Amino acid sequence: MRSLFRRVRAAFDERMQAWLRRRQGVDRDPVLLHRRRIYILPTRLGIAYAVMVFAMVLGGLNYNNNLGLGLAFLLVSLGLVAMHHCHGTLSGLVLRLLATDSAFAGQDVRFSLLLENRSRTPRPSIEVAHESAASRLVDVPACGSAPAGISVPALRRGRITLDRYVVATRHPLGLFRAWAVVHPAYFAIAWPRPAEPGLVPPGVETDTGGAQDHARGDEDFTGLKPYQAGDPLRRIAWKAYARGRGLHTKQYAGTDVVSHVFDWDSLAGLDVEERLAHLCRWVLDAHEHGEAFGLRLPGTVIEANIGTAHYERCLTILALFEHGGADE
Amino acid sequence: MSSEQPAALRGLDGVLVALAVAAAAHFTNLPAWITLLLVATGAWRWTAHRRGWPLPPRWLRATATVAATVAVVASYRTLNGVEAGTSFLVLMAGVKLLETRSSRDLTVVVFICYFLLYAALLRDQQLRQLPWLLAGVLVATGALMRIHAGTAGDSLREVLRRTAVLMLQAAPLALALFLLFPRLPGPFWGIAAGDSARTGLSDEMTPGDISDLSVSGDPAFRVRFLGPVPPPAQRYWRGPVLHEFDGRSWRRTRGQAFPQQQVVATGEPVEYQVTLEPHDRNWILALDLATQWPEREAYRAFDFQLLAPRPLTELTTYRLSSHTQYRAGLTLPESVRRKGLQLPEEGNPRTKALGRELAARHSQDPQAIADAMLRSFREQPFVYTLDPPKLADNAVDEFMFDTRRGFCEHYASAFTLVMRAAGVPARVVLGYQGGELNPIGGYMLVRQSDAHAWSEIWIDERGWVRIDPTAAVAPERIERGLIGSVGVNEPVPGRLRQDSAVWFQVSLVWDAANDFWNERIVRFNAAGQMRLLERIGVDDPDWRALGLAMAASLAAFFVALSVYLAWKSREPPKDWPARLHAVVARRLRRRGVEHDPAESPVAYLDRAAGACPDIATEIVAIREVYAALRYGPLPTETDLRRLKYLVNRLRP
Repeated sequence: MRSLFRRVRAAFDERMQAWLRRRQGVDRDPVLLHRRRIYILPTRLGIAYAVMVFAMVLGGLNYNNNLGLGLAFLLVSLGLVAMHHCHGTLSGLVLRLLATDSAFAGQDVRFSLLLENRSRTPRPSIEVAHESAASRLVDVPACGSAPAGISVPALRRGRITLDRYVVATRHPLGLFRAWAVVHPAYFAIAWPRPAEPGLVPPGVETDTGGAQDHARGDEDFTGLKPYQAGDPLRRIAWKAYARGRGLHTKQYAGTDVVSHVFDWDSLAGLDVEERLAHLCRWVLDAHEHGEAFGLRLPGTVIEANIGTAHYERCLTILALFEHGGADE
Repeated sequence: MSSEQPAALRGLDGVLVALAVAAAAHFTNLPAWITLLLVATGAWRWTAHRRGWPLPPRWLRATATVAATVAVVASYRTLNGVEAGTSFLVLMAGVKLLETRSSRDLTVVVFICYFLLYAALLRDQQLRQLPWLLAGVLVATGALMRIHAGTAGDSLREVLRRTAVLMLQAAPLALALFLLFPRLPGPFWGIAAGDSARTGLSDEMTPGDISDLSVSGDPAFRVRFLGPVPPPAQRYWRGPVLHEFDGRSWRRTRGQAFPQQQVVATGEPVEYQVTLEPHDRNWILALDLATQWPEREAYRAFDFQLLAPRPLTELTTYRLSSHTQYRAGLTLPESVRRKGLQLPEEGNPRTKALGRELAARHSQDPQAIADAMLRSFREQPFVYTLDPPKLADNAVDEFMFDTRRGFCEHYASAFTLVMRAAGVPARVVLGYQGGELNPIGGYMLVRQSDAHAWSEIWIDERGWVRIDPTAAVAPERIERGLIGSVGVNEPVPGRLRQDSAVWFQVSLVWDAANDFWNERIVRFNAAGQMRLLERIGVDDPDWRALGLAMAASLAAFFVALSVYLAWKSREPPKDWPARLHAVVARRLRRRGVEHDPAESPVAYLDRAAGACPDIATEIVAIREVYAALRYGPLPTETDLRRLKYLVNRLRP
């Protein structure tokens, strides 16, 4: 009986979602919550409140007790005013994507949203929820903004799309819940799950890079340069930092500049996902050690380089390999 | 256990405060053990929350629920009725506190708080309840908001402010519903009789026992005279008539029918409207002697007391006529005569002897006997006091011959006994004497402290004649009321002393407000609704007009609230800095500094500052805030305010 009820309800929810999607279409950033797309219903507590107030009205009428009736009517209108406030908490809210945080498959990718309030009244206790999880309650100040995040578990590599999330609130009294369904076209990348360390990458193509890259190498310390985002952590001059001179990166020079090129073909004999997992592991390790690396995949060659952008680019290429950028 | 969900238990403190406020409205009516239990449970729950103690297991809570139910049933014999229901609710709130783990549990406690406030109104609808009621709703709603507002509910002041705003916004609709929601002509279901004792006249009088009647300054009833107001000496408001005497106490007759006696009224009638505070008895206090009353709502007993068919459990108004000059009774039926002469065989021998002696000396002439008796009250050292000594078995003898200190009850009792002993039919009448005119409200207020007792004797050819022996001892009691009649050093309850003129004025205003409250709010009913509709221009209103008006006001309220909320949360205008800059340019034009369209706003302000050295500082300040708003990294609302302020102050 219960499972039947659940099935009926799930089917209903699905229909409802499909209908909502058809009705509203895909939302483009930034999303302004128009009052006509905000739904509102009493919560269970709201229904209990209504029953209580109804009993009070009946009693007041029966006993001809005007003060009791007055209290009941005050509570009636408090509830109705709270309903308006609940609706107004969402109406006019602006949502935009702030950032997407990619992650390895098996972890959660995170969509960071910015809730903007352009009005002069604060919008407290707003919840941004996805099927997988609800965010904590966010208070958006008047004429201000507040971040909220949605974490979506990445089950396998590729694009993780976020095509539906719910913004809801029970502010101010918990008697009503107002919500709006947003259908964005956001996606984040789930990188392949890295293989266990073990398989040593072939040390191919050791570059005698002195000529082209005299400022980089592993051998001789040549001096400090100001830190730039992307410089490997292990080359930061912590001693200098401790002396209060700011963040600097140690510069080395030398002929023995190693740049790996991780080759798809070197992993012959493994299937696609395993190859990607190993490539991913190598990229990860190389980036961690601050070594330059490149990728060679069927149809794609990425020149050796270093830095976070390069690292993420390589991982993304691996994530989308043979998916052709199609959705998961 | 409670440490698992600290976030879910947001607002426990608010709920405890709300419960305390709501239960305090019942403090005087709750048995002490219930109050103590609630306080203990609340304190325990709070400590458990702070210390992270585990909440009691399920079986303990179930036992507590059953025990509470049994205890209430055992002490009240019912769960029904305001008193028992309130006690039950309070206990249930305590039990619920034991298991408050989630915001839902806390919300249930808040709902109980609302119900407790409601129950307080079922008991008492007086004006002085209003502030407490509003405070209770504010605190309970604030607690509700604190539970559900997340981190925004952390600031107590902010929560209370926002709750107050909600309540203010709710007030217009609440008022409209109150005025327009159709009232019932009668109840759906039977109304339980009031189960709380109220102050008021008793139907028994025992001089010598401690009487607390005169202590209370509470209003007994209010009177609006439609014509001239009778002088103080005629303001006798008739209550129960006491016939039975057992040597100590006077009581009403019970279970015996007596023939009606005819009343011949002379002179002009006094027409008035009396609004009685609920006193849980069925008597209607009427000016002596009531000659006209609404037939269906009242009747006059054989002893001329006006009675209602039901006890007055709520504020009730009657339109009455009385005559202050009358002949009550043409002939005396034998049964009434026997009742009026009834004396206990034993006790009070000296008083009875005095009666017989007076009868012999004045040859059975009732008027002469009464005069002689009054004379002896006046001439012998009798003292009028609110603090008489206690009297033992032969109470009347002791009072008449030993203590000689007492108030109206003592004098009325002794006088009536003497008259009966002298063979004159006599009885004691309880009621009120006096009343103060409230010039602000235009009515007369009669307080519980105006309660009085006097005698009636039967004189052939004249009928029942009122004799007030207290007037002989303390004539000022009749002329000036209780306060004027007792000595300066007499112990009189503080609220009766009218020490200062200011205090007197304040009490007049307060009572007028109470009267307005009673007449316009508490007694507002279906008829009042129709009158209201007529006043706003509806011809011949009926319930349909009422429904229409209510629907219209609901719609108007929703529209108004939506518009107001939309206006409140409107976006600030797009480009305030540019507008304000235009204002500055317009003002500076008067000084001959025109804004060149090709010139940047900042450059223009620089040039203007150079051209007008007297206001250069102000212009530079404007330029800086303008630049911060336009080009700064973090333009804030405060900057905009500051710019507005500076621009408004700029008067070139």
